[in-house]
Formats: sequence, C-alpha cells, structure tokens
Amino acid sequence: MYRYDEFDARIVRERVAQFRDQVARRLDGSLSEEEFVQIRQMNGLYLQLHAYMLRVAIPYGTLNSRQTRQLAMIAERYDRGYGHLTTRQNIQFNWPRLVDVPDILDDLADVEMHCIQTSGNCIRNVTADHLAGAAADEIEDPRPTAELIRQWSTLHPEFSYLPRKFKIAVTGATHDRAALAIHDIGIQILYDEDRGGFGYRISVGGGMGRTPMIGKVIRDFLPKEQLLSYLEAVLRAYNLEGRRDNKHKARIKILVHELGLPAFKARVEAIFAGMDRDRIEVDQAERDRIAAYFAPPPFADLPARSEVLEAARRRDPALDLFARTNLTAHKRAGYTALTISAKPVGGVPGDVTADQLRVLADLAETYSFDELRISHMQNAVLPHVRLDDVPAVWARLVEAGLATANAGLIGDIIACPGMDYCKLATARSIPIAQAISRRFADPARAREIGPIGIKISGCINACGHHHVGQIGILGLERQGVENYQITLGGDASEHAALGERLGPGVDAEAVPEVIERIVAVYLETREEGETFADTVRRIGLDPFRPALAAPAPQEGVREAA
Amino acid sequence: MAVKAPSLPAILTANALIDGVVLYAAREGWTERLGEAEVARDADGLARLEAALRAAEAADGVIDPVLVPVALDAAGRIVPDHYRDRIRALGPTVRGDLGPQAAGEHRHVSL
Amino acid sequence: MRLLDRTGWIADPFVRDGGRPTLVPFAQAESAIAQGDPIGIEIANTTDAGALDPWLGRVDLIAILFPQHRDGRGFSLARQLRERGFAGRLRATGALIPDQFGFALACGFDEVEIDETRAGRQPVEQWLAALAAIDLAYQDSAARPSIFELRRRAA
Repeated sequence: MYRYDEFDARIVRERVAQFRDQVARRLDGSLSEEEFVQIRQMNGLYLQLHAYMLRVAIPYGTLNSRQTRQLAMIAERYDRGYGHLTTRQNIQFNWPRLVDVPDILDDLADVEMHCIQTSGNCIRNVTADHLAGAAADEIEDPRPTAELIRQWSTLHPEFSYLPRKFKIAVTGATHDRAALAIHDIGIQILYDEDRGGFGYRISVGGGMGRTPMIGKVIRDFLPKEQLLSYLEAVLRAYNLEGRRDNKHKARIKILVHELGLPAFKARVEAIFAGMDRDRIEVDQAERDRIAAYFAPPPFADLPARSEVLEAARRRDPALDLFARTNLTAHKRAGYTALTISAKPVGGVPGDVTADQLRVLADLAETYSFDELRISHMQNAVLPHVRLDDVPAVWARLVEAGLATANAGLIGDIIACPGMDYCKLATARSIPIAQAISRRFADPARAREIGPIGIKISGCINACGHHHVGQIGILGLERQGVENYQITLGGDASEHAALGERLGPGVDAEAVPEVIERIVAVYLETREEGETFADTVRRIGLDPFRPALAAPAPQEGVREAA
Repeated sequence: MAVKAPSLPAILTANALIDGVVLYAAREGWTERLGEAEVARDADGLARLEAALRAAEAADGVIDPVLVPVALDAAGRIVPDHYRDRIRALGPTVRGDLGPQAAGEHRHVSL
Repeated sequence: MRLLDRTGWIADPFVRDGGRPTLVPFAQAESAIAQGDPIGIEIANTTDAGALDPWLGRVDLIAILFPQHRDGRGFSLARQLRERGFAGRLRATGALIPDQFGFALACGFDEVEIDETRAGRQPVEQWLAALAAIDLAYQDSAARPSIFELRRRAA
C-alpha cells in the first residue's frame, strides 16, 4: 500500500499543527464558532447528539496492521474503547474531546493517517472497491488512481469551499462494488485496445439524500493522462454554478439535473478545453511511482483446492458455513478474500472494539500480507488469505466475536448510526437493525433466503444508503413517534436502481414482521436460482405490498422478537 | 442558531465547547444534570432563556444552544417532549453503558 | 477597510467613492476608464469570467467580492481570470478568514481586503501565521511549486 514520502508526511503534520493553532484561537475567541465549524469539519470533527464525533479517513478502505493498532489505541486512550466503520470506508469515534483532537491527529500522523476533508464542503475520502488487488474480475487495481485523486484533492485551493460535500469513488473491476452510481463522480477503469489501452468512464451526479439520483455517464472513455484536468473541469463547473441558496439543493446532482446532462457536459468540456493540462496532470513517472506501492504481494504458487480447508470444513459445520458465506473468489489460485462481519446477531452494525481492532491487525499481519480493508458495507476484509489458513483465521475470529457467517445475507445489514448518535436523525436505525438481525438469527434460514441487502437510514439524508437497498428502510417521525418507510428494488451495483416505496410507514415494533412477510413472498414466488433482487425485478412490488398490512387479531402472527 | 420559540415549558440545552458534553442552562451557569435545568414556564422565563442562548452564542464555553420543549411529570421532574431530547438526556439507547444513563442519571426519562 | 498581502498590511492605492485612482463597481467601469487614470473594478463572484475578457487589458485591479467565507466561487473566478491572461492586481474582498489566505494566493489573488471589525478580531499576525502554517501543496500555482513538481526535481 502507499507509503508517505517526506512531502505527504509534512503536509499532514503541518495540517495538524495548523489545527492545533486553530483550536487555540477558537478557545481564545479570535475564531468564532461560525468560522470554526467549517474548519473543524474539514478536519473531520462533527458535533453530534451526545458529544463530538471524529471521522478518520481510511483512503480507499486500506489499512495495515500498524495503523489498525493505532486506531485501537486511540479508541482506548481518547474515546470509549470502540470505533464505527462507515459506509464510506472510514472509521468514526463518537466521544472525542475537542481539546484532545490535535493529539489524536498527531497520533494518526505517526502512522500516516489523517482526518483531512472527511467532512465539510470539500472533496471527501476517495473510496474504491474493497476487493482491489484481489478480486477475480479485476481489470486494474483502482487504488493508484484513488491515491492520485486523494493527493490532488487534498487542500485544493480552488475547491475547499464548494457548495456542498463532494464524493468520488473508483472501481477497476467489471462488477461495481464501490457504488459508483451514487457518487458525485464515479470512475470506472476500462481497457480498450482501440482507444489506447486503459482509460476511465466518468459518471457524474449520483447521490442519496432527499433527491436520490443515479449518476450519468459524461465521458465514455477518458485517457488516463487527462484525469486530473477533467476532474478539475467538473469541479470548477460545480463550484461556479452549484446552488448555494438551499443546503438541500446544493449537490452536483441537482446542478446536473437542472441543467440537463448535455448542457452540464458542454460547460465541463468548455472549461476542460481551455485548461492548461501540463499544469495539472502528473507525468507517467509519478503514476508509476504511486502504482508501484500497489504491486501484487509475493503470492505463493498454490493449488486451487486446499485439502487442509476441505478437511477442516468436513470436521466443523460452523467453519463450513463460514467458508460458504464469507469467502470470495480471488484472482490467485489458492487464495481468498475473507470478509469479517461487523454485524454479529443483535449487535450494532459496524461497531468494533479496540480489542477486536487488535485481532484484525494481527490477522492482517500474519495472514494477509499486512493488509486489511474496510468495505462500504461496514465490514472488514482480509484481502489475501491462503485457503490453507482459513481455519486458523476463523478460529481467531470466533474467539474475538468476529466470525458471524452472514456476509451478504439478511443479517449483513447496513445501518447509519441514526438517532442514537446523530443530531440530524429523525429516528433510530440501530435498534431496527438489531431486531431484524435477531429475528433472522438462524444461519440455516439466512442461507435459505440467500443474498439480500437491507439498508437502514435514520433520516432523509440517507447515510445508510437505503435508496439503493434491496430492502430499504427509512426512519422518519410521524405524530411524535418513530415511523419507518420500506422501499424495495434498490441496487448499488452496476445495475444501479433506486428503491420504490412499498406503502405507508410502520411502527418500529412492526418492522421485523414486515421483513418476515416480504421474505415469505420471495420464498413462495422465487424461481430456480433467483436471488431476492432477481425476484423483485421479475414480479415488481405489488405482490409485496400486503406485507405492510396490520395483522388481524385472528391471524397466527408470530410474536415480535 | 435558530431561535424559534418552542412551546412552553421549555429548557435550554447546548454542548460544552471543550468536550462536547450535553449541558442545560441552569439558574446560574450550565449543568450536566437535566434536573437542574432552568424551566421557562411563561414569556418572562422564555426571555431569560433566550438571553442565555444569545449569551452562550457570544461566549466561548458553550456551543449550539437550542431551546427544547419539556413537560413536568407527576413528581415535578423535567421530561423532554421529543424523543430526540430524551435520547440526548440518556445516551445511546443501544449502549446502556454510555452517556448519563450509565451513571444512573435521568432515570425518570424513558423512551 | 484594511488591505493585506503576503508581507502584511499594505496601503491601498485605490480609492472608492470618487478618489483617484478609483475602484468602482464593474457597471461604472467604462466611465471611470474615460477619466484616464488606472482603475480598479469590483465584481460579484457570480460574474462570468468570459464577460471580463474585454477588460483584462484595461483595468489594473479586479476585486472579487466574497459575500460569505463559505462561498468559494471567487477562488474559481480568480483562477479563470489568471488563465485568461489577467496580469494586474487581483484582490479578494469581504468575508474571508485567515485560513483561506493560502488558498487565495494559490488561486492568483495578490491581496485580501477586509473590514475593520474583521481586522480587529483577526489581526494581521494571524493571517501571516495561517499562510505560513502549510507551506506545501499538491496543486500547482504561481505561489509555489506543487509537491509533484518537487518530486520531479528530486528525482
């Protein structure tokens, strides 16, 4: 993975020193709160319902063991012993004190980490396929591109005071695991012999929130050496013309929608044509320098089948189950990308303790070439595990409470922190996730249901990505009580789609039963080999609408969990 | 901060600048204890709280002040009207070991 | 109003409200130029850069208004004016904070103008300290070589 050179390290240190000084100026009154808010946000510090919240950047979700152990230390020394994995591959701490944050930032800088631009109206953490460098369907590792964008976007003098936040995602595989379609800019690496080899398909204007939109392709094939200038052109068009009159209409998706794609594209292309690209682009030597950090690790030559794993699976049904659900095909024979679920039954989705972080660090170091990934599904991944080592890894995970065999299944719920933590929320989301998780705790049942993605947001800002959930749940308030709207048919992949509302909202207590009934309809109507998503696409929402109806007293309705 | 007058009775809540802890405006100064919050029951009381809100915005120790409506229970204890403010008084409902609830505070407040 | 550049407070050679050389709103540019002295024009941050092309060789100062420090349109506008060949003085005027000083200079501004209240609350020492706080950038500018350029040189 990327290692800072003296320049990368210095800019992060100077940023920490700057923030230390800014905190001092806030405390002595020379900076007002109104001025300080933007500054602290650009250093990842929010004010939430109970306390501050600090969001640490994990560029393209990639960590090494040293960094992971440092996060564990920070959780213990400065916070309440845990962190939360986010839907943008970052980690959040929920209880930092403002006065400690400069020290936390210095501790992060010690391990080449930072909180720069993880909040605020600027370019945020660049996310990427969490299986980068491992996935069998990979065209090119997206991380060199993501790292280049990270550097280009850091403390950008022209783009630090945008109308609103700006999110960029990159993928280099044929299957989109980075949810490009819901990003402000989505970048898909392509290979086209006729057009000179590797290039980028650029989409713009995807997003969640009150007005969710799927991104639109603005460039089919952009040569690699034009990426940064093209991004500048898009950002400049947005900075100049994005709405600043209404916070809820300020994302680039609104500008693209209001101008229409052709007019927006014309603006961008005009700016792009006039740009001095030499001033902006990096040369091939720099691209090569960055790419070298992401060269494949020294994989061993292994057989495709692991007798060790097969034998262990025959002996242990729990391991067998885990191997069926949490292992993903790797590009190298004999290896796997192993998903570590942060969704134990009844747990808080995405929360990991300091001790668990240390286990992840140890496992990454010992079994995965010292590499760990955080996915936007709020799970962790060991990207390069020998199949032979899976039993040993799994045993450690079991000890640490991290072995839940539910990757991609009904218990693998994405949920924002919701009103238990977040000031913006209109309802709680975590208890809903917990109730559903407990209702479907039986692993055999979860396997019978198969792949299904539930996403829960505690308000219309949609940080839980409910609009692209196969089942989406949106927590609102109705007459002073939490109320939950269910959507179906969302998709965050390359077949991106926004979910549709099933009907009126329901009470918190009713949600697990509603999910139960939705699943029942699926199980009754599915055809051979159909996933939940396939069935919904085939039969539409109407067969599922009765799931919302309140039960009549005479019906034998199962007790709420 | 928006100073839309809430329904009465109301209290004033904010966060401490230094560590983000939830605070309530008391008769004098600020307190972490909901029970010590100054309750505005009429226009005069509201005016006092609004003055405290403006002073908080100008001062350095307290941030994001906002008026919230409350009720008084049979025992005269303050119970915030909105469930958000009740969660704020207790702590995350999914972590009983975090927030004021961990020390047994504000036990009369329930979701 | 107070004016500062990377050296600290400076005197403002331009005068609003009828002095010479004059700084006028853009709409009054033509009549001000007719008087023969160097002139400065003040433009909204929503001004289309192309609309200023005929003026770039005729005015000596362009002041871009920043209505709120969160409104970063002036940074793009400044860069565009420089890209389109404006070689005169470029001034950011209004609601900026010291922490934006480095960004302003990197975008092509020469100077920042703020009101007395702001100057009182955020004295020039803070502006200069904020400027010195981060002396590296990944982005190219007239103010300094980019980190990518520094890497090239070191290679």
